[in-house]
Order: sequence, then C-alpha cells, then structure tokens
Amino acid sequence: MPDSFLMIGLINVLDPINIAAILLGTLIGMFIGAMPGLSATMAIALLLPLTFSFRPETGLALLASLYLGAMYGGSIAAILLRTPGTPAAAATVIDGFPLAQQGKAGKALGFSLTASLIGGLLSSIVLLTVAPLLGALVLNFGPVQIFAIAVLGMTIIGSLSTGSAVLGLLAGALGLLLGTIGMDPTTGTPRFTMDNLSLFGGVPFTVALIGLFSVPQAIRLIVDGDKAKTMTEDAPGGMVKTVSKIKDRMLPTGRQFIEMLPNSLRSGVIGVIVGLIPGTGGDTASWFAYNEAKRFSREKEKFGTGHTPGIVAPEAANNAVVGGSLIPTIALGIPGSSATAVLLGGLMVHGILPGPTLMTDHGAVTYTLLWAVFFANIALFVVGIMFTRACISVTKIPNRVVGPVIIVLSIIGAFAINNSVFDIWLMLGFGFLGFLLDSCKVPTPPLVIGLILGPVLDTSLQQSLLIGGGSWMVFFESKISAVLLVIAFLSILQATPLFRWIGIGLRRVRSSQQS
Amino acid sequence: MKQRMYLACASALAIATAAPLAAQDMQYTAANEVTVLQGFAAGGGSDALAQLVQPYLAEVLGVNFVNQYLPGATGAIAWTRLAKQEPNDGTIISITNTPMLMTNYLMNPAITYTIEELTPIANVVTDPGLAVVSPNSPLETFEDMLNAARDNPRTLTVGNSGVGGDDFFTSVMFERAAGVEFQKVPFQGDGPSMTAAMGDSIDVSFNNVGITYPQIAAGNLRALVVFSEERIPELPDVPTARELGYDVVAGSSRGYSAPAGMPDDIRDQLVEGLRIVTENPDFQAAAAAQAMNIDFIGGDDYTAFLENQFVEFSAIWEEVKDDVQNQ
Repeated sequence: MPDSFLMIGLINVLDPINIAAILLGTLIGMFIGAMPGLSATMAIALLLPLTFSFRPETGLALLASLYLGAMYGGSIAAILLRTPGTPAAAATVIDGFPLAQQGKAGKALGFSLTASLIGGLLSSIVLLTVAPLLGALVLNFGPVQIFAIAVLGMTIIGSLSTGSAVLGLLAGALGLLLGTIGMDPTTGTPRFTMDNLSLFGGVPFTVALIGLFSVPQAIRLIVDGDKAKTMTEDAPGGMVKTVSKIKDRMLPTGRQFIEMLPNSLRSGVIGVIVGLIPGTGGDTASWFAYNEAKRFSREKEKFGTGHTPGIVAPEAANNAVVGGSLIPTIALGIPGSSATAVLLGGLMVHGILPGPTLMTDHGAVTYTLLWAVFFANIALFVVGIMFTRACISVTKIPNRVVGPVIIVLSIIGAFAINNSVFDIWLMLGFGFLGFLLDSCKVPTPPLVIGLILGPVLDTSLQQSLLIGGGSWMVFFESKISAVLLVIAFLSILQATPLFRWIGIGLRRVRSSQQS
Repeated sequence: MKQRMYLACASALAIATAAPLAAQDMQYTAANEVTVLQGFAAGGGSDALAQLVQPYLAEVLGVNFVNQYLPGATGAIAWTRLAKQEPNDGTIISITNTPMLMTNYLMNPAITYTIEELTPIANVVTDPGLAVVSPNSPLETFEDMLNAARDNPRTLTVGNSGVGGDDFFTSVMFERAAGVEFQKVPFQGDGPSMTAAMGDSIDVSFNNVGITYPQIAAGNLRALVVFSEERIPELPDVPTARELGYDVVAGSSRGYSAPAGMPDDIRDQLVEGLRIVTENPDFQAAAAAQAMNIDFIGGDDYTAFLENQFVEFSAIWEEVKDDVQNQ
C-alpha cells in the first residue's frame, strides 16, 4: 500500500500547479526569511490563510517549500548583515559573516545553499523511506530522556564561547536565569513576572533573539555609517561592513564539494535526529551541528574566523530538521518544531486529521507533502542560485538607511509573533542588553541557548522527579538518558584542562621512567 | 463513493437553500464587522473553532469576522483586554475556553478579570475528558487503574495538560470521587501528555477525546474511561465514569463571550446565529471531520454553566492549592 501511495504522491507533485507552488513558495520564503526577525514559522503562519482555498496538496506543497525557502533566506541575512533572519540561522552568523567580510560572500552563500541541498535531500530520503518506522522511536523520548538531551545541549555552551569560556558561561547562566521567568511548569505559580501577564508564558525567545542579534548590529550600522563599507579588506577584525555585492563564484568546485560532503552528511543526520525530538527545532540542531563540526575538526581555532565548515554544518542541519520534524508530525500527529506545528494546523484546516491515519486514509496527500519537501530542496538550490544576487540588493542601500530599516523590521517582527506591544519593548530591552554585552566582549549565543533550554530543563526535570517519586536515579534507569548524560559529562570534562593535565602527568611519568 | 456523491449534493442543496433564507431571516444590527479576540496562537484549537464556525456564522448574520490573535498567559491577555478595555456594543467578542477562563484568575491573583465582567454568549463545542493508557500497559480496564491507585497511593503516574487545565482538574475531581491519590505529572499541553502515555513514560494520561481519538482508533492508545454524560458514539465500548458510579463529568469547552453589559437584543442575535449554525447539517459534518463534539449551550444557560464551573473549581482549588504549590 505505501508503495502505491509513494507513486501517487510523486505524480501529484509533478502536476504543474504544484511545481509552480513549490517554486513560488521557495522564492517568497527566501525573501521573507532574508528579512531579520521574520522566521520560517511566521512565514508559514502568515501565508496559511492564503492556502485555505487551494487543494490540500497544493497548499501543503506551498507551505513546505516556504518553510525551506525561509530557512535559507535566514542565512542570507545572517551571512551578509550578521542579523539571522530566522533563529535557525543564528549559528551561521559565526563563520558566515566573517567570510563575507573577507569579500567571499558568494562562497559563503554558495556553501550554505549546497549544504542545505545535501542536508535537505538526506532528510527527505529518510522521510520518504522510514517515516512510518521512525515514528515509534520518538515515543522513547519521555521527560527523563528530554532532560538528558537538554543537559547535553547545555554543554554546547562550553564550545560556543569564542574567546573566554568564563564569559561564555556567564552569558549561558544569564540565559538560564532569564529562562526561569514565567509560570512554574509544575505548580503554575508565576515567577519573576512582576504581575505582567505578557511574561506569564516566559520570555518569548524569538523576541529575545531578534533583539539580541539585530539591534546591536543596527546600532553599529547607524553609528559607523558607511565608513566601514569603504574600508579595505585588511580592516581591523571586528569592524563591521556589510557586503553589497557577490564578486566571487557561488557554486563550490567539485573538490570543495567532496570536502564538505562528510561534514554535511554528519550535520544532516544531527538535524534529522534533533528534528525528531518534539520541542526542539532548527535552532537547536544548527548549534548542535556547529558544535560537532568543531569537535571533529582538526582546525578548531579557525572556527569563528570565516571557516567554511562552520557554515556548512548549521546550514545542512537546519534544512535536515525539516524532514526530521515532519516525521513525528506525520507518523504520530506530534509536531517536532513550532514550524511543523503550524504545518500541522494547515493539514487540519484541509480537514485531514493528524496521526497514524495520515499514512493510510490520507496517504496520497501525505506522500505528496513528503515528495514536495524533496522537490522543494532542489527548487531551493535552483532558485537560490538564480535569485540570491537579487536578494542582496538590500545591502546596497546605505548603512544609515539599513540600520533603521532593521530596527523597523525587528519591531514589526517582535510585534507580529504575539501581536503584543509589550514584546516590542522586550525586544528593544534585549537589543540594549545585547549591545552592552557586545561592548564588554561577552558572547551572546550562549545566552540564547540558555534561554531556549532553560524552560525545557525546568519542565523535564520536575516531571522526571515526579515520575521517579523524587529519586534522581530515574535518570540512570533509562539507557537513553544514561548514555546521553555520560556524553554530556565527558564533553564538560573535555572543555576543562583536566585531560591536558592527565596528558602532562603521563608524559612526566614516562620521562621520569626514561631518565 | 455513491454516498459521498449524495453527501456532496445534499450539502450543495443545503447551502443553496439555507443561504437566502438565513440572509432574509437575520441581519446583525450592531456592526458590519465583528472582531474576534483569540487568546491562543493561530493554528491552535481555538483557531480551529474560529475557522470552522465563523464562515457559517458570517453567512447567517451577514457580517464579517476578523480574528485578532493575542496569545499568552493561557488566554488571560486576551480575556483581560476583553473584560477591561473593549466596548460592549457587539463589535468585539472573544472565544472563551473553559475551565481556563475561570481557573486562570482562581489560581493567579495577578489575573484580575472575572466572569462577572463578561457577557457569556454561547458554548459551541465540548471535548470530553478521558483516561488513556498505552496498549501494552498492565492496566487493562478502569478497575485495574482504580486498584493500582488504591494499592499504592501516590505512585500511579497520571499525566495532565498542565496545572489549571481541564485535565488537571478532571484528575483531581476523580481522585476526590474515588478516594484515591495519583502522582500527577503536568505537561505542556494535551499532545505531550498523550505522547508520554504512548511511550510508557507515565502510567495514565488524563486527556481529551478530540486529540486522542485518532491514536485510539489506530491502536496506539487504550481508553479506560470517558468523563462524558453518556457514552460517545466514536468509543462505544468505553464506559463513562458516571455509569461506573463516579459522578465526574468534565472536559474542555469552547464558546464565545463579549464584555459585560452587552445589550440583550445584540446578545440574542449572536446566540440565535450560533444556534442556527450548530443545527446546520453541513456544519455538523465539518465539525465531525475535525473530531469536534458540538455542545451548544446558549445565553443564560451558558452564564449558569460558567458560574457553576467557577464554584466547583474554586472549591477544588482551595483544597489542593497548598499541596500543588508546595511540590
């Protein structure tokens, strides 16, 4: 039965209307994603009402391609303006922006596109072949296992801190503290909300992210003006100049392609797996993949200076998340990320109930969606190669114009998420905090990680302890969580000088034996 | 296939005959456009109700509905605004979810609106509560669940959709009725609580029929008991708590309310409009397709429904408050 659905889905997707929907979706998504503060989730949510009148296949093909397009669009803004258009592109900033600063914006974007293609295709193939089987895997992730995953996520902080690990940990702790704002998940008691209803649900991290990443950049653009743009390429590091034109080639050479393949595939696998776990999304996956790429690399010190594997990893991962997070959505009706939650809403609008019936009763539509994801990845590559240069026109505008525009877009973005005026002030507050931290050379990405994982840790810890009757051993009774926690512990040790001391100790012992 | 054709013809006929009749019958007098405040994000359960009801209601009343989303604090942001700041002339209404509408301010002194500051219009749907377990759970029947809870107080892990949500209160009501104590585990919504039961992370999930039905039908969950007045047609083999001797009827309901002091004639038009919509076979079919259980409670009956729930939940919360907050 699934075999025939596979064919029906393929034939459906090749319908000219659906192909047109996919091309249109990727193009719109790319431009929306390129605007700082407009996330993939928002892009889908904004266009969802438009698809009500479409046939389910066409509507879902448009939404899925929009999601993928927005993911890449987010990277354009991240690489050129240092303002990630989507949360998932935040990790791309670290190496993408310095590379663009070196006059290699084309290379950065081309690598990003190619990595997205590899990650996306990998996840689509996984999605098409093993979706019905993998649904069962997700069920093994209860609160105990999610806590372990979140702990592992926190250890990412150690390696994200370029420069001082202490300052990185400081920012991470600050993020965790800010993450405790809101209603206590177990008792419903508001914490640190100052009786402000807008804070009952916690700090909306997309709002915080827009503020932390966009506003300091906008302030810098306004303060420095076009001074930076005219600087030569050996301008002092850290000076900001946006890139206005792609002068170099975008497509990687065959050799570069082969070199990036292992990294892309590893990051793609990370993306699929992270996407599978409900509640995590492209943002977690891209940080995770970046961290792993750095860990596996022999040139760790090059990360953060415009090293291409630092672009490839998060980009392959955040596109692979789409396939991963669609797996629980389709197999179980449980969205793996906020964007797939909106996609699921799209399915329901078209009268299709989520859950296992999607694979049987609604198999034709479901497989059309799965094939649409596959073709959207290819469409994104083609559209990206053709239109990225057009997208870049935004950076030809003088900095003193771009700066205020970023602020305006950030304000619109912050407001649009919850239609809340309070969120605008919150966003500006985080912007000021980000500017302050930047000025003190405290890295902001760990703060974001803390803010995202804080509530996850909080909830899953309390749930796990309730389930375990108050015993902390509950984390070691599950094999999955025990393994994850051990990995997390080792990764903390690896960040300390302990291993180096042991190494030195061993060498001393050996040399004393020799003498 | 034949049946589907027939249905399509019937619904086409229904639209053709109902539309001109309705247009003649009623014309909403308060405004040409009504804003619907939504306390939850687009794409959620409240939005699904709005997308389902409002096109039909617009037809009947001859007005446009504009949704405005103000998510946050489990709906309290939107409802505070509705109660405190909005005009009561029928230009603005809101989707009101129970029991959240009441438990919000019951549990948090910072939330200051009350149902006295609202004009309840009508309830539209009720999603009955139920208890589900994973198919490989040793708890085969309702009796098994009860015995497990009796034998080891506070060890049977029972998930709910969050403190203050309907499932939390359903489990407390059941504990009181049956004289047992669960180890209650709050989740961030119905979905995570359901998944935890499916994956055997918890023993039982107190949940709702709408979200769990597809999983029950597919054999991924087993329903032990349902908290509706009567057995529900989709789950004919699942007993109600009432027939087993425990008087617990609970669920999550959604309807519409306006600010207090709305003129009676305008309220009557909205109540009547919603009644016509819920009686439309076409609407009923669309609701059934989304597993929505229509439960029309109009006008003063809806006011009484909210007041009764408030009294009931106040008593429960007073009793369990210290226990929950000292966890």
